[in-house]
Amino acid sequence: MNLKELHEKKVRDILDEKQMWNLPIVEKEADIETVLRILTSRDHVWVVKNKDSRKLCGVITESDVLRLLAPTRLPKYVFGKKYSISLEYGTAKRAEDIMHKQLISCSVDDGVGDVLSRMVNARIRRLPVMENGEIVGEITIHYILQILLGKR
Amino acid sequence: MLLEIGVALLLARLMGYAFERVKQPAVIGEILTGIVVGPFIAGKIFGMKYLSSVTEGLGEIGIILLLFISGLEIGVEEIKTAGKKGMITSLFDVSVAFIFGVLAGYILGYDLRTSIAIGNILVATSVGITVRTLMEMNALHSKVGELILTVAVLDDVLGIIVLSITLGEGEPSMLLIKIILFFLIFLVSLIFVNKIKNIKFFIPRLIITSAISFAFIFSALAVDLGLAAVTGAFFAGLIFSNLPQRRRIDDFTRQMGEIFFIPLFFVWVGASFDFYAMKNMGMLVALFIPMALIGKIIGCSVGAKVCGFKGRDAFAVGVGMMPRMEVALVVVTIEMSMNVFNKTLAHQVLASTILLVIISSLITPILLKIVYKEEKESNNQSEG
Repeated sequence: MNLKELHEKKVRDILDEKQMWNLPIVEKEADIETVLRILTSRDHVWVVKNKDSRKLCGVITESDVLRLLAPTRLPKYVFGKKYSISLEYGTAKRAEDIMHKQLISCSVDDGVGDVLSRMVNARIRRLPVMENGEIVGEITIHYILQILLGKR
Repeated sequence: MLLEIGVALLLARLMGYAFERVKQPAVIGEILTGIVVGPFIAGKIFGMKYLSSVTEGLGEIGIILLLFISGLEIGVEEIKTAGKKGMITSLFDVSVAFIFGVLAGYILGYDLRTSIAIGNILVATSVGITVRTLMEMNALHSKVGELILTVAVLDDVLGIIVLSITLGEGEPSMLLIKIILFFLIFLVSLIFVNKIKNIKFFIPRLIITSAISFAFIFSALAVDLGLAAVTGAFFAGLIFSNLPQRRRIDDFTRQMGEIFFIPLFFVWVGASFDFYAMKNMGMLVALFIPMALIGKIIGCSVGAKVCGFKGRDAFAVGVGMMPRMEVALVVVTIEMSMNVFNKTLAHQVLASTILLVIISSLITPILLKIVYKEEKESNNQSEG
C-alpha cells in the first residue's frame, strides 16, 4: 500500500482484532507497580475505568514515567498538586495519579490522513481509537509503519 | 531602562538560584534583587532608575501570566475532586485568616475597606514552601500532608474569589450582578472550549496563542466588570485546564513567564520597598505578622478537627498552612494599584507582606518538623 492510499483509508479499515486484544491497558485503580511493569516493554499505557467497559480515562507515557524516575525538583512557582506527585515521596500510588486525563482521540470513521495530521499538530505519537465512548484500538507511528511496509 | 531590566533579570536568576540552594524560595531572592536594583541601593550608588511605568507594566503582565498558570495547573478537575475534608478545612481556613486580617486592621484603627484589604492578603497559602517542607520530612503522602496540599490549592481559588467580592468596585447590588455575569461567561467559555477541543482544522500555534490572548481578554473583562484583572487571568487558566493541549500551553506560558515577566514582577515588588516607610510601621508589623500566622493555625486546625483529625495532626495542618508567597504579593500589589491604602500605608503594608513572606518561609519548616515529629512520637507511644 502506498502512502496516498493509506491516507484515504478509514481508521476502521486498518485496525485489526489482534491489535485490539493486545492493547496496553490498565484500570485507573491499578497500582503503580503494575503500570511500571507494563512500561518495561511498552512505551505507553491506556487507563480505563474498568476492563469490562473499556471507558477511556487517560494515558501514561514513557515521558511521564521519566519525570517520576528523576529526582523530584520543584519549579520556582508552584501551583496545584501536579508537582507533588512523586515516586520518591510515595504520592504516585495508582495509575490515575499519574495519567493524562485530557486526551485527543479519533473515531473508527475518521480518515487515516486526518488522524496523522492531528498527531502532527498536537505533537503526539499515539492516538486512541474510540467507538461509543470505549477504546477499540490505537494509531501509533509503529503501527502505521508496519502497515505501510506490508508487515500487517 | 534597558540596562536596568537586563541587570535585574540576571541578578534575579542568580539570587533566586542561591536561595533555592539553601532550600528557600527563589521568590525571596527575586524580591531582594528588587531591593538591590531599586532606588535605595543601586539608585543611590549608580543612579539606576528601575521603578518606571515600563517595569510596572512588565510586572503587570507577569501577574497575569502567574495567575493564568495558577488556574491552568490547579485545573477544574482538581477543584472537583478536592473532597469534603478539603472543602470544609478550606472554608474554615479562609474565613478565619480573612477575619484575623480584618481584625488586625480594625485594632490598628483603619477603616473597613482598608481592614478588608489586609484580610485579603492573608487568605492564600504558598503551596511551594509547604510541598518542599513535606518532601523534606517525607510526609507528602501522609494524611496530614494530603490535607495540607488540598487546602493550600483550594485557598488560592477561594482567595481570588474573596478578593473579587470584597474589593469589587461599584454598588453592592450591581457588583453582585457583575460577579454572577462574570461566572456565567466563565461557565459558557468552559463549555465552549470543551466542545471545540477535538476540532480538526489547524493553524500553527493557534491553541497557545488563543490561551494567552484569552488570559488577557478575560482579565480585561474582569476589570470592566469591576473585578481584579487577576481574577480574569485565573479563570482563563481554569478554562484551558480541560484541554488535551494543557501541558503545551503550560510549558510555553511557564517558559515565557518564568524567564522574563514574573521575575520582573517580584523585582518590582522589591524595588517598591520603601525603607523610610519602616520608621512608623512597628505596630502594623507587630500585629499583622502574628495575626497572619495564628489565623492560619486556628482556622486550619479547627477545620481539620471538624473533619476528624486528632489534636496534634490538626495542629500540624494549621502550621503547614502558614507560608504566604506569590498570591499574597499579587493581592497587595493589586490593592496598591486600586489606591485602597494611602501612599505611606501602602508602602508599610507592602513591607509588612514582604516580611511576612520571609518570616513564614523561615519558620514554617522548623515548626512543622517539630510538630510532625511529635505527632509520630505520640502515635508510636499510643501504638506501644
